Amino acid sequence: MIQSVRRASRILRELGTGSPGLGVTELADRLGLAKATVYGLLRALEAEELVERDAEAGKYRLGPALLQLGNAFLDNHELRARSLLWAESLAGRVVEAVRVGVLNGTSVLIVHHVFRPDNSVQILEVGASIPWNACALGKAIVAHVDAGRREELLAGELPRLTGRTIVDPLALGAALDEVAVDGVALEDQEAIVGEAEVAAPVFDHLGSPVGAIGVAGPVERLLNDGPSKEVVGAVKEIARSLSRDMGAGRFIARVR
Amino acid sequence: MISWVEELATEVREHRDYLTQLDAAIGDADHGINMDRGLTAALAKAREMQAEPPGTVLEAVGLELVYTVGGAAGPLYGTGLRDMGRSLGDGPTFDPEDLLKALRAGLAAIQSMGAAAEGDKTIVDAFSPALAGLERGLRAGDPLLVALGRARRAAEEGVRATVAMQARKGRASYLGPRSVGHQDPGATSAALLFSSLERAADVAVRTLGAES
Repeated sequence: MIQSVRRASRILRELGTGSPGLGVTELADRLGLAKATVYGLLRALEAEELVERDAEAGKYRLGPALLQLGNAFLDNHELRARSLLWAESLAGRVVEAVRVGVLNGTSVLIVHHVFRPDNSVQILEVGASIPWNACALGKAIVAHVDAGRREELLAGELPRLTGRTIVDPLALGAALDEVAVDGVALEDQEAIVGEAEVAAPVFDHLGSPVGAIGVAGPVERLLNDGPSKEVVGAVKEIARSLSRDMGAGRFIARVR
Repeated sequence: MISWVEELATEVREHRDYLTQLDAAIGDADHGINMDRGLTAALAKAREMQAEPPGTVLEAVGLELVYTVGGAAGPLYGTGLRDMGRSLGDGPTFDPEDLLKALRAGLAAIQSMGAAAEGDKTIVDAFSPALAGLERGLRAGDPLLVALGRARRAAEEGVRATVAMQARKGRASYLGPRSVGHQDPGATSAALLFSSLERAADVAVRTLGAES
């Protein structure tokens, strides 16, 4: 039984790639399974609306029940729920995109993303996973986790995403110390060439960092001649308000 | 050199909507527009520099692109062309080996900035095979124009190969497996670098033929 759950999940992952739809034979080839096995799994998944079948092409694709599950996952997330209004207000104030992320293993999972309010085409980054060392959100969180966790993360894998990603544990540790003092983390083209982010940590009632909120945009607008004072001020203020919403005491939110 | 920039600007103009359309699937839908804007400015710059050596022109074109294209493409292409120009130096002419060396310097600049390797679904996936194609052609004793034809075809093949790749660098990587199935806009514009180079060399060869 457990094996079939694993196989069903592999089917969902295959269907989750960019391909427009996959037939039973294609799926069986990709997974190295018998066609009859794959067909049986697909029928079961289809009954649950986890996959759907295009009657004309005979190909399978992801089903509508997955969207509901994805939304339920996001809705259950307290930080995301509480950040909706704050993020919107921050984006409006600085006219840049705003992202909210949480630490998930060694990566930052984007749980909320407000587009830069200028009517330009942007892709939704909710669900994206970015190595913690390559983004301001990650550095803002890790600068405030307990010492043991911090050492563990610094000793772990530090992927390089651009020529500017900090991958040296010592340099990264020094950068985290600075973040802890400044209360704000900066990212200068460390995840994507041309892109910058200014982020601050969000704390809960225990004073632990539950995530971070940040303003992301072109490096020439955010970090031109040093970090934009307006953006840094706005990010810190909104992060403090959000922390209070999450139950953090005024004292904790301010001192950190 | 100015003729290359002219051909490149023309190709980018012709492919502007196509690049933008590709970018709409996995990016911000601005690649074609940004590149067109930058190359228009760069071409104007290059035309003011008719009397300058080719390396100097290319360096100036690169710097202009950094400032005018924006996004990731500006710094990447701009720094690449700038370093190509620096590699060519300030000699009045250059030979095929100089060109090969310059292209290598350009790719190195792009890779040191973007940290991308082949297979990451970026500019590198067209640039790197094109460079290898050019080198193979020159080593086999092909005339420059023929070797540039090889380079262009290798770039085009590289572009097609990006469709099946999952992006590992740049914003498209945020889409994870959903980036599979889409052709990379950066690799597509990098291939234009080589098709325009071939066209410019063709023009140069014809001009020389007519003169002699």
